[in-house]
Amino acid sequence: MSTQLLLFQVLNGLGIGMIYFLLSVGLTLIFGLMRFVNFAHGAFYLAAAYIAYAISLAFGSIWWALLIGPLAIAALALVIERLLLRHTYAMPHEAQILITFAVALLFQEIVILIFDPLAKSVPVPASLSGIVFLGPYVYPAYRLAVVAAAAVIAVVLWLVVERTKFGAMLRAGSENAEMVGLLGINVDRVFMAAFALGGALAGLAGVLAAPLRGAEPFMSTEALGIAFVVVVVGGLGTLTGALVGGLLIGLVQSIMSTLWPEAAQLMIYAAMALVLLVRPAGLFGRF
Amino acid sequence: MIERRRFLTSATAAAAVLAAPPLIRRANAQSVLDIAAVYSLSGTFANVGSALNDGSKWAVEAYGSAGGNKLNYVLLDDRGDAGEAVRKVQEVMTQHGIKHVVGCTNSAIGLAVQKEVHARGGIYVNEAGADEITGKDCNRSSFRWPVACYSAVNSTVRPLIDKFPQAKRWYTITGQYVFGDSLLSNCKQVFQEKGIQHVGNSYHSLSDREYSGYIATALSAAPDVLAVCNFGNQTVDVIRQAVSYGMKRNTKILAVWSTGLDQYQALGPENCDGVYFGCNFWHGVDSPGGRRVAEIVKQKTGDVPNYLHACGYAVAQVLIEGINKAGSTDVPKIIGALEGLSYEGPTGTETVRPQDHQVLKDYYLMLGKAKGAMKDKNDFADVVAATKAFLPPDKTGCTMG
Repeated sequence: MSTQLLLFQVLNGLGIGMIYFLLSVGLTLIFGLMRFVNFAHGAFYLAAAYIAYAISLAFGSIWWALLIGPLAIAALALVIERLLLRHTYAMPHEAQILITFAVALLFQEIVILIFDPLAKSVPVPASLSGIVFLGPYVYPAYRLAVVAAAAVIAVVLWLVVERTKFGAMLRAGSENAEMVGLLGINVDRVFMAAFALGGALAGLAGVLAAPLRGAEPFMSTEALGIAFVVVVVGGLGTLTGALVGGLLIGLVQSIMSTLWPEAAQLMIYAAMALVLLVRPAGLFGRF
Repeated sequence: MIERRRFLTSATAAAAVLAAPPLIRRANAQSVLDIAAVYSLSGTFANVGSALNDGSKWAVEAYGSAGGNKLNYVLLDDRGDAGEAVRKVQEVMTQHGIKHVVGCTNSAIGLAVQKEVHARGGIYVNEAGADEITGKDCNRSSFRWPVACYSAVNSTVRPLIDKFPQAKRWYTITGQYVFGDSLLSNCKQVFQEKGIQHVGNSYHSLSDREYSGYIATALSAAPDVLAVCNFGNQTVDVIRQAVSYGMKRNTKILAVWSTGLDQYQALGPENCDGVYFGCNFWHGVDSPGGRRVAEIVKQKTGDVPNYLHACGYAVAQVLIEGINKAGSTDVPKIIGALEGLSYEGPTGTETVRPQDHQVLKDYYLMLGKAKGAMKDKNDFADVVAATKAFLPPDKTGCTMG
C-alpha cells in the first residue's frame, strides 16, 4: 500500500469512525447511565431514517428531518420508556434484551407495513452533494458534514454530561440511584430524560445516515451490530470510549479494506476480541 | 319380513342420502397441489426475498390451478441461511410429500436446495445466478429462469468494452460469495480475451455495508471502468458510495447484475445518472407475458413490476406451465414437458433449453438517466442492448447428473 493510499484510508477511517460514534453514542449513554441494554436502539435509528425519507419526499430535502427526526424519536422513546421499559429496569439484562428486541422487530414490521420491504433513496441535500478536495484526496461533502456534526455532538454531549447540573445528576444516578433519590432528586425523571436523549441521538444518527446508505427495513440490525462493537471496544457507558472505539473500528475497517479486503469486516470483530483480551472492560470502561 | 325388508331398504336409502353430499363434494372438488417456495424473509437479502416471494405468490394466485389441481402456496422462510433452507425443504418433502419447489434468494441457497430437491425426487425452478446452477452442479430436477453469470457478464462487459475501446483499465469490487465469484471469473475471462487490464479487485463480505475503504482503493488504481460484481442492497451501497466519492468524474461504473427498478428507486436518479446496469427484466420492454405480469402487479401494488416481482412470478410460471403441458403433477412428466417448452414469459417468448434446463431470454444493458430526462417516476434508465448470450450447451459443464 502506497503512503498516499494509507493516508487516504486513515482519513477515510476517521470519517467512518465518527459516523460509528454517532451510531453508538445513544446506546452507550443509556447503558452507562441506566445500566439498561437497549436493543431497540437500532429501531430508533431505523424509524428516524424513514422520517428522513418521508420528509425528503414531502419537502425535497432532509433539512427539516434534522429537527423533526430526533424530536419525534425522543418523544417515541419517552412513550415506550413510560409504558413498557421502565417496568423492566429491575429485571435481568436478558429480559431487557428480549423486550427491546421485540420492540425492534415491531418497528421493522411497522415500517414494512407502511412502506414496503424495498430500500428507499434519501437524497443528499443539494448544497452538500458534491465532493471536496483535501490536498490530493477527494471526500464527499456530505460525509464531511456528518463527520463535523458528529464532532460537534461529541463536544456538546461531553459538556452536558461533565459540566451541567443535569449531567451531574445523570452521573450520580448511574453510580447510586438510591442515594441520589434520598437527596431529593427525582431519579425516575432523570432516567426518563436520559432515555429520551439516547433516543434523540439514535434519531439524529438515523437522519444523518439516511442519505449515506438509504432507508430500508433491515438497517437496524446492522447499525445495532456496529454500535455494540463500538460500545464494547470503548467501554460500556463512556462517551470518550464511544468516540475512541468508533475511531478505532473505523480505522481498522478502512485500512484493512486495502490490506486484506476479504477480511475487513472480520477484522472489526478481531479488533474487538483483541481489546477485550487486553482490557476486558473495554478501553475506557471501569472494572 | 316385509317390514324387515322395508326397514333395510329405508335404512340403505337413508345411508345413501346421508353419504351423498360428501361423495358429491369429493367428486367435484379439485385435488390440491402444494407448491413450496423457499425465500429469505430475514437476513442480509430479506428485502429481496420478500419481493421475490410476492411475485411467486401472485403467480400461483393468478393461475389458481394447474393440471386440474388447485394450487396452494407454501412459503418456507430460510432466514437467509442455506442450511435452514435445506432443513425446511427436507421437512416438507418428507413429512408433507411436497415435490414441487420454487425460489431462492441467493445462489448458495439455490445450489443447496437444488441438490436436495433432486435427491428427493422433486422438481425445482429457481432464480439463482451462479453458473453452477445450470453448469457443473445441474441436475434433471432443476430449472433456472434468470440468466447465468456468464450471460450477465457477456451481455454487459463485452458491449461496454466495444462501446468504449479506450477504457482499458478495469477495477472490480466483488461480493465474496458464490454469485460474486462467478461474476468475477466470467469478467476475468472477457478481460483476457479483449486485452483489458484488470487493475485490481476488492472482495467484500456478505455482511459488509460500508464500502468507502474499497472505493478508496479503487480510486487509487485510477481505473477507466469500475465493475460491481455483487448482489442486492450491496450493489446499491457500492454504487451510492462510489458516486459520492466522485468516481463518475473519471470512471464509468457498471453494475454487472442489478435487480433493476427497485434498485434504481433505492439509488435515486442522482446516483443512477450515467451508471450502467445489467438487468434481467425491465417493465418498459413490451411483450404479451410482460403485460400480464404488469396487470397482476398493478392490481397488487398499483405500480409497475420490478425485476424481483417479475422473477418471483417467472419461476412459478415456468413450473405451472410445465404442469399444464404435462397435464399431470408427476415430476418426470413435468420435466419432460418443460424441456424445449416455449411460452410467453415476462421478457417475451422464453424457451427452456433441454440440455441444461436454462431458460433462454434477453438480458439488458441499461444506462441510468438524469432526473430531467425521466418521462415518469419509473423511467430511470434506457435499454442500451438486449442480448441472449448463453454458453453453448457443451461448454456449460452440465451433464445432468
